[in-house]
Formats: sequence, C-alpha cells, structure tokens
Amino acid sequence: MQQLNFEPVLTAEKEEILREQVRDFLKQYGAFKPGNMIDSWSVCDPEFSRCLAKKGWLGMTWPSEYGGGDKSYLERYVVIEELLAAGAPVGAHWVADRQSGPLLLRFGTQEQREHFLPKIVNGECFFAIGMSEPNSGSDLASIKTHAERVEGGWVVNGSKIWTSWAHACHQMITLCRTAPATENRHAGLSQFIVDLEAEGLTIRPIVTLAGEKHFNEIFFDNVFVPDNRVVGKLNDGWNQVMAELAFERSGPERFLSSYQLLEAAIRVLRQAELAQQADTIIGQYVARLMVLRQMSLSVANQLQQGKLPVNEASVVKDLGTSFEQELPEAMRLILAIEPRPSVDQGIQRLLSDAILKAPSFSLRGGTREILRGIIARGLGLR
Amino acid sequence: MNELSQLIEDSATRLFEGFATEQAYQTMESGEFPQTLWQDFVNDGWLRTALTEEQGGAGLGLAGGFTLMRLAGYHAVPLPIVESLIATYLAASSGIEINDELLVPALISHPIDQSSDLVLSNIPWARHASGVLFVFPVDDQLHTVVIRLGDLTISSDHNMAGEPRDEITINPKQLIANNTLSGMSVEQIYSWLALGRAAQISGALRKVLLRTVDYANERSQFGRQIGKFQAVQQQLAVQAEMTSAAICAVDAAIAHLDTEQEWELIACAKITNSEAAGYAAKTAHAVHAAIGFTQEYPLQLSTRRLWSWRDEYGNEGDWSSKLGRHCMQLENDSLWSWLTTQTT
Repeated sequence: MQQLNFEPVLTAEKEEILREQVRDFLKQYGAFKPGNMIDSWSVCDPEFSRCLAKKGWLGMTWPSEYGGGDKSYLERYVVIEELLAAGAPVGAHWVADRQSGPLLLRFGTQEQREHFLPKIVNGECFFAIGMSEPNSGSDLASIKTHAERVEGGWVVNGSKIWTSWAHACHQMITLCRTAPATENRHAGLSQFIVDLEAEGLTIRPIVTLAGEKHFNEIFFDNVFVPDNRVVGKLNDGWNQVMAELAFERSGPERFLSSYQLLEAAIRVLRQAELAQQADTIIGQYVARLMVLRQMSLSVANQLQQGKLPVNEASVVKDLGTSFEQELPEAMRLILAIEPRPSVDQGIQRLLSDAILKAPSFSLRGGTREILRGIIARGLGLR
Repeated sequence: MNELSQLIEDSATRLFEGFATEQAYQTMESGEFPQTLWQDFVNDGWLRTALTEEQGGAGLGLAGGFTLMRLAGYHAVPLPIVESLIATYLAASSGIEINDELLVPALISHPIDQSSDLVLSNIPWARHASGVLFVFPVDDQLHTVVIRLGDLTISSDHNMAGEPRDEITINPKQLIANNTLSGMSVEQIYSWLALGRAAQISGALRKVLLRTVDYANERSQFGRQIGKFQAVQQQLAVQAEMTSAAICAVDAAIAHLDTEQEWELIACAKITNSEAAGYAAKTAHAVHAAIGFTQEYPLQLSTRRLWSWRDEYGNEGDWSSKLGRHCMQLENDSLWSWLTTQTT
C-alpha cells in the first residue's frame, strides 16, 4: 500500500503579503456579477484575465525566461484561492495557467515554450482541453480522433466534445491516436497543440442545463498540424496526460465552486435569527473546508518539491467535489427557501446556480468512480 | 511524516507492539490493570514525553505527546496514554512534583458548590490511578490538586472497548487550592483531551485501513479476491480518503498548538476524526463480514475503540455546533479571512 501523504504546510509572510495584495486588488476591482459567482472558474472574462496578467498572477510559477513569475506553488495557491473564494471570473486563462503551461514546461520544446508561455502570461493566449470525445468519456484511451503523418506534419480527423470555452480560446492541447491500439491501450496516443482558428476545424456550441454557453463540440476535417506542434514524445501522450492531471485535480477550485453560497447562507441565517439551529450544519461544512484547504495546500507544496502526488490529488478532488456538491443540499435544508434562477442576485439565485451547476463538479477532470479506482490502485487492490 | 513523528515512531513502536497481546486486553477488560505494561511504559520515560527537560522530561512538548497518542491508537494500547500524559503535563505545569505515578485528569469548569458532594462521571481509568488530578477554578484562577484514591468514592464503569470510565464522588472541601495553573483554561484542557482522542482515532483509522485492505486482498469469493470487485474498491477508496483527511486534521491541529488558531483546528480534528471513525468501522466490518464480528479476530480491538472515542470529549455534533456558532458570530463577510489565518 502506498502511503498517502498530506504533511501540513504553513504559509510564510511572503505568501500572506501576496494574499493582501490580491484582496486589495479585488476591493478596487469592484463587485462581480452575482450570477457568475458560483463556479466562477467556468466564467470566461478575457478582460479580467488581462487585469490579472498585469498584476503578474498568470504563469506565476513559471521561469522568468518565459515571462513567468518565478514564484512558488504556495504563492500561486494563495492567489488562486483568494480569487476563487471571491467568485472572480477566472475561466478564460484557467486551463492555460493550470495545466497547458505546466505541460509545455515539462514536455514541450524550447520553441513551443518561447512561443506560447509569454503569451499565456500576458493573457493573450487561452487554451482549451481536447480530451473527451462523443464516445470516450471516462475511458479516455478509447478515443477515435487520429492524426496521420503527412509531409511536414500531421492531419487530424475526428471530434472532441465538452470543450469549455473553445470558442473563446486560441489553442487546444488535443489528444489523438497516432498508432493503432495494441494490447497496451495506453500506447499510441500523442498530444498536439492545435490552433483553434485552423482550416477544417468547426466549433459548435452546446448549452448546459444551467443555460451556460461554455461547452462545445469540435470537428476536425483534415486539420493540418505542423511537426513543431507535437507535444513531448510521440505515442507517449498517455503518460503526459496523467502528469497533467496531477496539476488539474488538487487545486482549491475542486472545493470552492459553491463557496459563495456558504458565505451568503451565513449572512441570511444571521439576519433571520435562524443561526442557532444551523450551527451544527455550518460547523460541519466549515470543518470539511478547513481540512480540504490543509490537504490542497499540502499537495501544492509537494508539487513545489518536484513530486507528482497523483493519488493525493485524486483524494483532494473526490473529497473536494463531494463537499462542493453536498453544500447546496445542506444549505437548502437549513435555509428553507426555494431556489430561483429568475432573480438577478441574492441567496435564491446562488442556491439555484449551485444546484444546477453541481452535477458537473464531480464529472470534470475525472469522475468520482475513476478517482476512487486510482486510489484503490494506490491501496494495492488493483 | 515529519521528524518528530519519525523519532517517536522509531522508538515507541516496538514497545507498543509488545503491548498488544490477548492477555493484556483480557486483563484490562476484566477490570484489572496491565501493571507490567504500564511499568515498561514509565520506565522507558514515555510518561514524561511532554515535560520540559527542566521538569525531567523528554522536551517533546504536547506536540510530541499527541504524536505518541496517535501511535498508541494505532496499536490499540490498553493503557491510559492520553489521560496520563495530559495529567502529568498539567501537574508539572502547576508545580506538582512528578513521581512517575499514574494520574488522570478530572475537569471542573464551574465554581464549586461547597454544600454537597461532587459527582463526576466518565473519569477515565480512575480506579487504577494513584491519584486524580482535579482542575478547578477559584475566582479567576485555575487550581490543581491531586486527590489520592482512598479519599474518593469510585463507581466503576467502562466504555464499549472495555476501557475504564469511572464515576467519582468527592467532598468539595478536599479541593484545596494549593497549586495554580497559569495561562490555561478548563476549555483549553478539555480541547487537549479531545485532540488526544482525535489523535488516537487517527492512529486506529490507519490500522483499520491496513487490516481491511490486507483482508480484501486475501479473502476470495466467486473465484477472485474480494478486493478485485469494484464495489469493494470504491468503498475502501472512500475509507482511505477519510482516513487521510483525519490524519491531516490531527497534524494541522498539532502544528497550531500554542497559536490563536489552536481550538479551531482541534475542533476540526475532532469533527473529522469522529466522522471518519463511524465510516471506517462500518466499512471495515462490511468487508470483513462475519469473521470481523468475532471477539477472536483483532479488528474489534480497533473498531470498538473508534466507536467509543468518537463520542468522548465531544462528538462531531458538539464540536460542529461550537465551530458553527463561532463562524456565525464572525463579523460580516469575514469567514474567509478567518479561514485563511489557519494555514499561517
């Protein structure tokens, strides 16, 4: 059995000064649209992302030679948890900052790093995730989108789906089959950086049940990708994707998606003098949040130490998304109000948004069952 | 694992492993005291874990004490580790001479009514102690006094794991304020006892997880190990998640001892561990099936303790209510800034 390690870590003065800077910035920036506060990392606001870029809060952990901030993972953690807790619309740059940039730093060519990273840092280049397909969800190795060798590059055919903000992004890291599947289903997959403006590429919107317009389906009809846009090793895409997921699964966005509802509920309960009956429920949820912060921060620190805590990241994501999904269920019981999507703001709107958006929390980035399978493997059961 | 845990684990593991014998549990559960084990524990100096070197201790502080309690929970040690360590720490802090005898704590939070006998229940291991260390307030000052067993009336009781939880009756006139405890409150000492239980739970949770995973990998049904079934894997994965969270919560509370955030993280630790205790026990028994439901099989040594400890010194409901009330009373919109002070 592999030990799961969540050694606690404390932030230092350096991080706390940064925290105050983010709070000052948010205060000056003003209020966000209430309808965007739940799951605010799925809200795309390129203008806001560029404001963050000016503050140096994109690509914070990357080396300065690519325009990065040379900061630690703990410093990045502090900045992003402040933004998420405030309900800031960080969706435009989220994927590029969290996983595409780190992927290129780990596996990309020098040319790719020099070309893309400074643009990401400046808030000029947003990335989408090209993994899921209409017939490949949890079973990612079954993807059908394939790339064929041609002179000077590759030709991609197939389709990707559930691609958040593809219509607002510039590039997409696209997982394709480049060799037929063998007994090892994970072999023969490769990652490409695909320009979303490329010829032969069509983006079709899909509206979510909450009425959001971030999802898309993307069709590839003989889309040419030059050789210099292959990421890392050809046919080794699976391992690269797994490394990418360690970055994707453990951050505070995995438990703060419905946090605004908790604050709002406390405000309402306090005014309505319902506080006393609600104490226990509020305390339970606050305690869960306290531990999740400790655990997520611990994983950030392990990433800083150059470790790849894949199992720990899965633990944080499963516990975290359970928390953010169960929170609206608990709040509706103690608030005893009806959710209303029709009002612009207030607790009824937050509750409605949280309930309607919650199903996705445990689907994106690996479903609950997949994560528990990974943890079970770490326990030595598979 | 940090250096302190490593140090304690390296040096106490062999001792504690030797304690987990059938005979030791039988002795304890029949109402006797495993005296030789206790003597080994004391002779190795562990009773003085939390004392400073000037006090003749190991200088590992309460942090070292809680780390030792976690290890004791892992090994289901049938001795009053939490109680004796904290009582000894309090005695030394109030200037009482330490004779390596077994003291257990009894906390009184309200001013004492002198007109009638005082009855205190759930006093752990009292019948086996040399004395009970009473902590009680007089005016604005906390006092301690050790009352010898002969001066108390004891009515024996025990928890679901067979650990002594006695009722003591004392004439309040005996509580003479000789020694003072400064810079502490009854509430704080109670929270340390709660953290002691949380630490024991987190150790037991780790043991139960290991046992259950091992069993799932050994036991075969339908032609394969039961751990190969997804239905079993998914439950064990959740048990592992809750166990990790529980251990992390205890670590965080230990890291915040002696800071402004101390009680908040202790509350969180007791809530997280008490919640995980129920889930882990339930899952472990489901996976072990009938064999786990026997006295002969050692799973019950951990699960009966989990079911007992989760309610002692405040269950998850009590601590949640206290934590929730605190959050409700924070100034407007300051929940987040309050939360973020907990990782500094």
